[in-house]
Amino acid sequence: MRITFVKKIKADGSPCRKCAEVQARLEKDGYIDEIARTVIADERDTDSEGMQLAKQFDVDRAPFFIVENEGQEPGIYTVYFKLVNEVLRGKTNEQDAAKDIMDANPDLDFL
Amino acid sequence: MSINIAEFNPEQLANEYSKQSPAAIIKLALDKFENIAISFSGAEDVVLIDIATKIKPDVNVFSLDTGRLHAETYRFIEQVREHYGLEIDVLSPDAEAVQNLVRTKGLYSFYKDGHKECCSIRKVVPLRRKLMALDAWITGQRKDQSPDTRNAVPVVEKDAAFSTADKNLYKFNPLSNWTSAQVWEYIRSNDVPFNALHEQGFSSIGCEPCTRAVLPNQHEREGRWWWEEATQKECGLHVGNLKK
Repeated sequence: MRITFVKKIKADGSPCRKCAEVQARLEKDGYIDEIARTVIADERDTDSEGMQLAKQFDVDRAPFFIVENEGQEPGIYTVYFKLVNEVLRGKTNEQDAAKDIMDANPDLDFL
Repeated sequence: MSINIAEFNPEQLANEYSKQSPAAIIKLALDKFENIAISFSGAEDVVLIDIATKIKPDVNVFSLDTGRLHAETYRFIEQVREHYGLEIDVLSPDAEAVQNLVRTKGLYSFYKDGHKECCSIRKVVPLRRKLMALDAWITGQRKDQSPDTRNAVPVVEKDAAFSTADKNLYKFNPLSNWTSAQVWEYIRSNDVPFNALHEQGFSSIGCEPCTRAVLPNQHEREGRWWWEEATQKECGLHVGNLKK
């Protein structure tokens, strides 16, 4: 299994807050060594590798993870706790999971 | 009648029902799933209850009590319970999590840190626990509620947020294609009870500290989290110029 972590540089050149938060959680939770590659999606550069990967996999959120297993279609994860639960077979804190869900689903604001 | 969930095809049904009335979509939902509930926010989504009770008088309804709702909203939830003779499952947040938040960050941390931390504790955790026990749910989400995030609200979908690797959850959005004006036309025509806050200029109703009245022609989104800047809603990847 090979996991690629795609994080974003915003159009104004500043780093993405959520991406930094997810990276810190990967380190804190002990999963950082599971990440084979970290790639930048630079919104100022549509040719940056991360932007091209976003286009290839039709992803419109950052950060995101590409999970590749030999002989299978790559899996895309835009929510950290789902990567941990479903790919790394770990557990996440319920509140962190809820916050991940909110970040990835702005529609929930209206419930 | 319930179905074999493995055979349920939300994409096909979303296409088939995309132009159907909310009543037809609610009937579909209630016909297909026994273990299903309506999420009622205490606002104009009361129309879901009005329509659903005409199909199934004892339909399951739940409501998220964040502990910070307006008094008018609590009274309205009670009014709906009595008017329709329904049991409404009012869900509370985890007391310890709320106490920890308030102890460490105070009662109004959302004005400084953004609303998501508080919403995740008071709303999303209890919602997630409730949805884990359901096969499907019905929401009042509409496309016109937020032009930037609601471009695609299928009338039925696999719930990407709350489905797990072990279990799919399905979400019905019967009001998706209705405008706010259509919702209010239904409320007036059918003498449906409504939250008194609507008479005070509140368009979108959430928690008391995070909701305010809007002026005529202001978008309802402007009545929610008005202090937050666009920079706090930064998770989108702006690949528009990359799209084919």
